[in-house]
Amino acid sequence: MSAINVFQQNPGPEAKAQSPLHHADLASLVGKGRKNAGVTLREKKFLGHLTLRGDGHDQAFAGGVHKALGLELPVALTVVANSEMSLQWVGPDEWLLIVPGGQEFAVEQKLRDALDGQHIQVVNVTGGQTLLELRGPNVRDVLMKSTSYDVHPNNFPVGKAVGTVFAKSQLVIRRTAEDTWELVIRRSFSDYWWLWLQDASAEYGLAIEA
Amino acid sequence: MSQTYRLASGGRIDRSKVLNFTFNGKTYQGYAGDTLAAALLANGVDIVGRSFKYSRPRGIIAAGTEEPNAILQIGASEATQIPNVRATQQALYAGLVATSTNGWPNVNNDMMGIIGKVGGSMMPPGFYYKTFMYPKSFWMTYEKYIRKAAGLGRAPLQNDPDSYDYMNQHCDVLIVGAGPAGLAAALAAARSGARVILADEQEEFGGTLLDSRETLDGKPAADWVSAVVAELESLPEVTLLPRSTVNGYHDHNFLTIHERLTDHLGDRAPIGQVRQRVHRVRANRVVLAAGAHERPLVYGNNDLPGNMLAGAVSTYVRRYGVAPGRKLVLSTNNDHAYRAALDWHDAGLQVVAIADARHNPRGSLVEEARAKGIRILTSSAVIEAKGSKHVTGARVAAIDVQAHKVTSPGETLDCDLIATSGGYSPVVHLASHLGGRPVWREDILGFVPGDAPQKRVCVGGVNGVYALGDVIADGFEGGVRAATEAGFKASVGTLPKTLARKEEATVALFQVPHDKGTARAPKQFVDQQNDVTAAAIELATREGFESVEHVKRYTALGFGTDQGKLGNINGLAIAARSLGIGIPEMGTTMFRPNYTPVTFGAVAGRHCGHLFEPVRFTALHAWHIKNGAEFEDVGQWKRPWYFPKPGEDIHTAVARECKAVRDSVGLLDASTLGKIDIQGPDAREFLNRIYSNAWTKLDVGKARYGLMCKEDGMVFDDGVTACVGDNHFIMTTTTGGAARVLQWLELYHQTEWPEMKVYFTSVTDHWATMTLSGPNSRKLLAEVSDIDLDKDGFPFMSWKEGLVGGVPARVFRISFTGELSYEINVQANYAMGVLEQVVEAGKKYNLTPYGTETMHVLRAEKGFIIVGQDTDGSMTPDDLNMSWCVGRNKAFSWIGLRGMNREDTTRDNRKQLVGLKPVDPNVWLPEGAQLVFDPKQPIPMDMVGHVTSSYAANSLGYSFAMGVVKGGLKRMGERVYSPQADGSVIEAEIVSSVFFDPKGERQNV
Repeated sequence: MSAINVFQQNPGPEAKAQSPLHHADLASLVGKGRKNAGVTLREKKFLGHLTLRGDGHDQAFAGGVHKALGLELPVALTVVANSEMSLQWVGPDEWLLIVPGGQEFAVEQKLRDALDGQHIQVVNVTGGQTLLELRGPNVRDVLMKSTSYDVHPNNFPVGKAVGTVFAKSQLVIRRTAEDTWELVIRRSFSDYWWLWLQDASAEYGLAIEA
Repeated sequence: MSQTYRLASGGRIDRSKVLNFTFNGKTYQGYAGDTLAAALLANGVDIVGRSFKYSRPRGIIAAGTEEPNAILQIGASEATQIPNVRATQQALYAGLVATSTNGWPNVNNDMMGIIGKVGGSMMPPGFYYKTFMYPKSFWMTYEKYIRKAAGLGRAPLQNDPDSYDYMNQHCDVLIVGAGPAGLAAALAAARSGARVILADEQEEFGGTLLDSRETLDGKPAADWVSAVVAELESLPEVTLLPRSTVNGYHDHNFLTIHERLTDHLGDRAPIGQVRQRVHRVRANRVVLAAGAHERPLVYGNNDLPGNMLAGAVSTYVRRYGVAPGRKLVLSTNNDHAYRAALDWHDAGLQVVAIADARHNPRGSLVEEARAKGIRILTSSAVIEAKGSKHVTGARVAAIDVQAHKVTSPGETLDCDLIATSGGYSPVVHLASHLGGRPVWREDILGFVPGDAPQKRVCVGGVNGVYALGDVIADGFEGGVRAATEAGFKASVGTLPKTLARKEEATVALFQVPHDKGTARAPKQFVDQQNDVTAAAIELATREGFESVEHVKRYTALGFGTDQGKLGNINGLAIAARSLGIGIPEMGTTMFRPNYTPVTFGAVAGRHCGHLFEPVRFTALHAWHIKNGAEFEDVGQWKRPWYFPKPGEDIHTAVARECKAVRDSVGLLDASTLGKIDIQGPDAREFLNRIYSNAWTKLDVGKARYGLMCKEDGMVFDDGVTACVGDNHFIMTTTTGGAARVLQWLELYHQTEWPEMKVYFTSVTDHWATMTLSGPNSRKLLAEVSDIDLDKDGFPFMSWKEGLVGGVPARVFRISFTGELSYEINVQANYAMGVLEQVVEAGKKYNLTPYGTETMHVLRAEKGFIIVGQDTDGSMTPDDLNMSWCVGRNKAFSWIGLRGMNREDTTRDNRKQLVGLKPVDPNVWLPEGAQLVFDPKQPIPMDMVGHVTSSYAANSLGYSFAMGVVKGGLKRMGERVYSPQADGSVIEAEIVSSVFFDPKGERQNV
């Protein structure tokens, strides 16, 4: 065996799969919210999530990442994306890469090939987290109820991403468009976030998209 | 007749909207725009409660937050009860139900009132300390009676139906108070483009301008208010918060604001709306424009209903169109208070006289009153109010302020309202929350905020600036300064023109002299909420309480929700005079959050009910629910505790689950165990240093149990780590320790060994883990997996990759039950599909799901520890009889090595983990029970250990326990005794902690 165990964990599209918010049966709630809801929520499920660690100051690392993904390493507190994938700065030596579902194994191999010989870590965390997209004029209000981080446009422009305190736990907030935000949430906390977000957006109206 | 005291016109009320409300069971009417206090006064309701200590009838004194008496219970139903609401701050709404909180059995005829009247010395200061402390056993009885009789409201007995929440705010400039200074400051700051929050506790912005006689640019002051508010509303970066009290000023310019969003709308919040909200504000700069409170004069019977602050009289007349009486006497020591008399006169009401403590007042307002023919008595004051339940007259006499003496017999003026003003006290509460000690200014006879390190500016009244033109200018300048300091460019603005007035100095008068002297004069109240009199303060100083803080605590001055708003300065002025020192030497007490009471709902916000605490679920949770699991909280996780079948209690269910595992095969959801993916060329060496045992020789494909110690050599976590590649390991931790262990690894990597090439990433949520345990687990797994399960090819403590239920899995052959076991790890999205296939295939093996309770029993039979249950942070691996798990010869030192080799950690008679077998196999040793060697010794006994885990007779046929005993490992076969609370003694034999399959034959098959 090699030094690192890289492992295809995805059984393919035939296997029965349940996203972290499977139990909430979001599909059944589509169209049931208030019209002109202030907040629209969608689970962007079954995407491939990879944690990438390495030395961001090392040109070889940045170059290898670019070679594998076609993306520049994002600077602190930002996320970069193309039509396929997004790459987010998580810490000085840590990034979150989100790719189309099922590609996580291939992308990991690509990264490992491009970064061969370097001290890095790539970890498939696909099953452990999911993305919630929040859209609408009142998302900022919901975020203000939930996090002490300043989400004003002056401090939180499009393209910013932070890991922060949210209600009584932590998650990652990403702003992807003028009034579109994403939350990266851990699987085991997904029910708490689902309950929290329903409650926090109740006064503005919540609509669900599948 | 309704609203007898309502003026025919005037006020900022909507007379077309009549609102019914009840007070103490009786229905009244008021108008939209009224406060509850205004509506009560309009209806001639003068007694709103009974005083705390003496049970004297009390009426409304003020018109705002400083009101000490009209503290009512609000709520139309049990669930909506709110105590401690000031009637002066509560907007009237249709259907409002209010009751007095003091006054048992009722406010108009109070049993305590009689006692209070009879015994002037019945409750002297220090009453509680002096009277009720002995005998101590009686305190509970006294307390019940006192609380009932005093009463300051009660909590609801049902759940609050409304919701409350928090909002986190960030701004460049937070302005506290929207009176003239605050509005001007907001304007200046907001025009710069800064993010501005303006918060004010009242129903609408404007502060004193809402009832002011003043004009701005020749127009009513309220017009300017409307224009400013309109401009502020048009600016996108401005947040306006009316009905919002800034209650706390905390470190780093963090302030808390209590906003009452719907308290003015009804007994319950409209559906879908939040009732109250706490804004948690981080402000770059703060402008404190909290204003000033008028100070009452302290004279005899000044608590009788019909005594009122002069400014409050103006507020009721001009803002609410209510006359709180017919015939007014004003007692003052300053010019400003003359407005009350002028407003009263302008409303067509009778001003009987003005008593002015000054010799020859000639200010503009004084002259205006003279010109209107109002009688002014100079060098005089109201020395005593007359009446029993309401003011019927005012005794006015000439006084010598310097000598504190009455110098004329005086006269009694017929009146039903005494307005009083002793000057103004800047509202320094917020400014001193962080310890900035207020400073006395003789020129304004008040304390102003002292220097403080916070990034704040004080403007207007709180700064001792009172003339309207100056207030606005001061506010504007403060707003400019705050915005500039926050990095914005503020522009110059034109300020509205005010009328120039000649204003003369206030004379220092706090307690008004009485011809009988303080002790024998009718009670002169300083703090009406806490029933503190001038005589009580003098007594306190005579009894040796000289520090202002001691006087406060001995007399209760400024206690409770009042926080000394009206009484503080008067109280310390009286103490200073009594001690023969000046006010600056006396000093003032400090204030702490909150400025006014905050409901528990607002404190809790949304963190209640199902949102009280995050609850974590595994990917298999829905299956557990479907199969009837009872759950146990493990950290934030919900883990299946046991799976009862119909009619089973926990004991029978656990016995059945245990038997199924030992006889055939059981299924456990082990997903909650912490899992950390470790990669890097130094990963192996890192494990050597973090764990107590050695990792150098662990081959790829193998797994090993490890103990983790803190520097002190004490065990803090354990788990199995598998080598999945030369430079790649999967570590497991305890469920509760997952986050802690990851932080621990990062801490040591980042601070001690940054040169090591290794990375750690949590994969706890990524992998779902199903454990198959029992003699049939291999057969079952073989049916759903393509992995070669041959016992030699896939031995104990190794792992394999392959498909389980068609899903790629890592399967670990490790065991926490002592049975043949396989831990199946699959990517969590696919876990349910795999589980369903395993369960289907498991039917013929009686595959039995089991929970944490069965897991605990089975592992205890094997003597496996649970960190946190059998350890308590004071046990070394040696203490746990786990020396086999310590690599003493590792090349590099490791965490805990030094600690476990100290003299104390190597001594013989440390408490050591052993098995305990009760002599009576049916007796269960309680967990936590203390152990002794000699049960007959006298108490206090020499305790030699305690029980850590204990289980009733089960598959073993006898009850058994694990516990720690001093030197226990050398005491095998000896007896220990556990004396119980009921006097019985449980006798147990010290045995090996491995009760079942000591050779490990069952897991190595």
